[in-house]
Formats: sequence, C-alpha cells, structure tokens
Amino acid sequence: MTRPATQRIVAVLVIGLLLFVWELAVAWGWLRVYQFPPPSRIADGLREMVTTGFPTGITIWSHTLTTLWRILQGYAAAVALAIPVGLVIGAFPTLDRLTASVVVFCRSVATLSLLPLAIVWFGAGELTKVVLIGYGCFWVMLSNVIAAVKQVDPALVRAGRSFGLSGPRLYREVVLPAATPRMFAGARMALGVGFMVIVGAEMIGTIEGLGALIMEARSFYRSEITILGMAVIGLLGFAISGGLGWLQGRLLPWESGLDAVRR
Amino acid sequence: MSGVRAGSDALLGLAGICIALLAWEAAARSGAVDPAIFPSPTQAIAAATARLGLADVAGHAAWSMARVTGGFLLGTVAGVVIGVAAGWYRGFGLVARPLIELLRPIPPLAWIPLAIIWFGLGEPSKLFIIFLGAFFPVVTAAYHGVTNIDPGLIRAAQTFGLRGPALLWRVAIPAAAPDLATGIRIGWGLSFGVLVAAELIAADRGLGYMIINERNTGGSVGVIIVGILIIGMLNLGTDAMIARAIDWKIGRWHGN
Repeated sequence: MTRPATQRIVAVLVIGLLLFVWELAVAWGWLRVYQFPPPSRIADGLREMVTTGFPTGITIWSHTLTTLWRILQGYAAAVALAIPVGLVIGAFPTLDRLTASVVVFCRSVATLSLLPLAIVWFGAGELTKVVLIGYGCFWVMLSNVIAAVKQVDPALVRAGRSFGLSGPRLYREVVLPAATPRMFAGARMALGVGFMVIVGAEMIGTIEGLGALIMEARSFYRSEITILGMAVIGLLGFAISGGLGWLQGRLLPWESGLDAVRR
Repeated sequence: MSGVRAGSDALLGLAGICIALLAWEAAARSGAVDPAIFPSPTQAIAAATARLGLADVAGHAAWSMARVTGGFLLGTVAGVVIGVAAGWYRGFGLVARPLIELLRPIPPLAWIPLAIIWFGLGEPSKLFIIFLGAFFPVVTAAYHGVTNIDPGLIRAAQTFGLRGPALLWRVAIPAAAPDLATGIRIGWGLSFGVLVAAELIAADRGLGYMIINERNTGGSVGVIIVGILIIGMLNLGTDAMIARAIDWKIGRWHGN
C-alpha cells in the first residue's frame, strides 16, 4: 500500500499541474477562453462574486445561504416526519409488507419529475423548492429507518427479553439504539439527495441560489462564474458529507461495538 | 417456505398499492381535494388519453430511454475501466484518484450549464450529464472493489501461475463483481433522475419535456400526473430488470 503522505503529495502535484497546463493551454490558444475559462479568470470571478456579486448585488455568500436554507427546511421536515413513520412501520411486520411496494414506488419517482406538478400546486416560489427537497429526502430517509429497525440483530432483542424488557421499553432501550447507526447513514444519504435536488430545482424560476447562479452565469456568457459556482457546490457537498461522517463517529461510539463484543 | 412468504409479501404489497389508489380516487371524487389541481387516477388517465395519443407518449418515452441507456452505458464502461485500472495499477491510481475525488462531490445536475457551454443544447450535452450520473458511482465502486479483494485470493491465483492481465481478468474482476454490481445499480438510478431533470431544463422531447411543456402551455394536471407515474414505473421496472440480470450473472461466482 502506498503511504497516505505520498498520496497527498501526488494529489497536490497532479491538481497543481492540471491547473498550470489549463492556464497555459488557454494562453497559447489551444483552448477557448469561453469554454475553458482559465484559473486566473476564475480567481477574478471569485473577487467579483465576493464584492459586487452576480447578478449585481447578490454575492456568493447570499447565494450559498439561500441554497443552504432551502435544503435545511426541506431536509429537516422530511427527517422529522420520516423517523416516527418509519419506526412505526418497522415495528409491525404486516404494516411493513403492506406499505413496502408503495414506499418503493414513491422512492422510484424521480423527485425532479414532480417539479411541474409542484409548480401547479405551490407556484414557482420557495415552497415548491422546499417541498421537492422534502419529497426526495423523505422517501430515502423512510426506507432507511424501516430497514434499520428490521435489521436489528435478533440476538440483541432476545438478550433484552431475557433481561425482562418487553413492548415499548424493549423498543426504546434495545431496538432504537441498535437501529441508530443505519438511521444516521440514511440521514446522510438523504442529505445527499436533497443536495442533488436543489441544484436542479433552482435552475427553473429563480435567480437566487447556487443552481440559479450557474445557470444565469451561462446565459450571460460568464462561464468562469459557472465554474466557480460548481466549485462552491462541490465544496459544500464535500464539507457536509465529511461533517456528518465526523458527527456520526462522535455521536454513535457504539456503532461498531457489536463486532468487538462478539470476538 | 420462503416461496410462500414471498408470495404473500407480493399479495400484501399489491393490496397496499390498491388501498393507496382507492384512497386517492376517493379523495378526489368526494371533493376533499380539488380534481382540477389533483385529479384522481381515473380522471388523470382520462385527461391524458384525451390530450395525448399513445404514439406521442411512446415517442417521448422512447427518446428518454434511448438517452438514459446511451449515457448510462458510456458512463458504466468508462467507470469500470478507469476504476478497475486505478485500483489495479498503483501509478495510475495515484494520478487518477485525486482528479476523481475532486470532481465527485459536484452533483451531475450542476454540470448542466457547463455541458451546454461545451456541447451546445443538443443531445451530446444530455448524454454527458447522464454519463456523469452513472460514471461516479461506478468508478468509485470499481475502485473500492478492486482494492478490497482478499489478498489470499490473489496469492492463491499467483500460486497457480496466473499473472498480469489474466490475473486481473480471471480473478480480480470476478472478485470485485459484487461491488461493481452495487455501483451499476446506483448509477442507473442516478442516471434516471438526472435524465428527467435534464429534459425539464433543456429539451424538446422526452418524458421530462412532455410534463414541463404541459405545465408551461397551461395544459391538464392529469397529463402531468400520468407522465410522473410513467417515469416512476419505467425507473422501477428497469431497476428490477438490472437487479435480476446482476443476480443471474453474479450468482455464478458468489453463492448468494
């Protein structure tokens, strides 16, 4: 195995070299400036986005905050609804088998295909975007909560019974903690879905938010701002999934505990 | 035993769908929701058959399927080749991985404007977006699969005299197949979601275009609902087909 330090050095070199060649290729006329705005031009774009903003007055910060706020509303509502519903469905096998096909179907409906319907119902404003994010997050979260409850190791449940636990107490003190890691994984997945949905939803009917920014920039032939916006979207996605992974390790120290106990 | 169980599962699942559809039908018929903005299933189908011919819908669906299949195949082939190579050849992996990790957090839809800048508004830009939807899950899974092969397996094969491409082809790739399969299924789902979005934003045919056009021209909500249901069923059906094909293909190598 290659050492992590070597990997990191090579990574920096590769990316640095790529940016350098890109800059040169544009300077020598091999690549068109509009199609491949060089790093120096993107840096200028960043300066403009931080100070005056694009469209004028809307800085990169307010685009980012708008997007984050939309995701947060839809995501929080979806998770808050999916956890109780999923726990109930997961607790009763018959209910689970009855709802399974509906859940699978609703999850298969591409979230953005609901956009035209959402516009008819809620107009082209904020609510439509929040509802779409909520829809996408909800079904992913719901199926993960149900799976989490169903996958709880039967040995744990039997052990809990031997200690005299039953009914709601057994559920709360044994099933719930054992299901939490998978639920958390579902929460991460759902956030990823929310992130995908918002970029698409913002491309229609708004000028605020990162999805709108990259689309608007293209219409005004500002490709460097498009690329800048993509970079911010990528960074956000990276930071959010990394942050949740870290949180998972901190909040759920018993996650990998069972394997250790068995050994 | 498991056959009986699966049969009753399917029956209960069907019952669940019927209950949901009946509740929806009843809500719209009783006036609990306004049928003009939320028609019942039968009303939606009636509106759709009145406004669209079967040939129109089939044409849109065919375009969508052709796009998603093309982009998905390109993305899968590129993902498998690059992912396996990056996992197998250390030097290539060192160079390729940072680039993949750099681009992977950007959702495929965020590439739409750049795709239009690079390829124009035609088919290539849509293929490119769908390609990305399949590429990243597949390349990640392929890399993971190849780098996590049981070393004992490789050593055993080497003892039997296999090396180089033969070792890769006959041992490493079959061993990584379950990971590849997972990546391919995720990739198909993502390609499909991306397809619809791409058709909503910039297309002049396809199912995504069909529904956004219906709303833009002030048409019937029933048509939109039928379109959404068709998209959902296509996604579900094709995913099931891919799962079946994977089971059939990989079941030979792996006991489950």
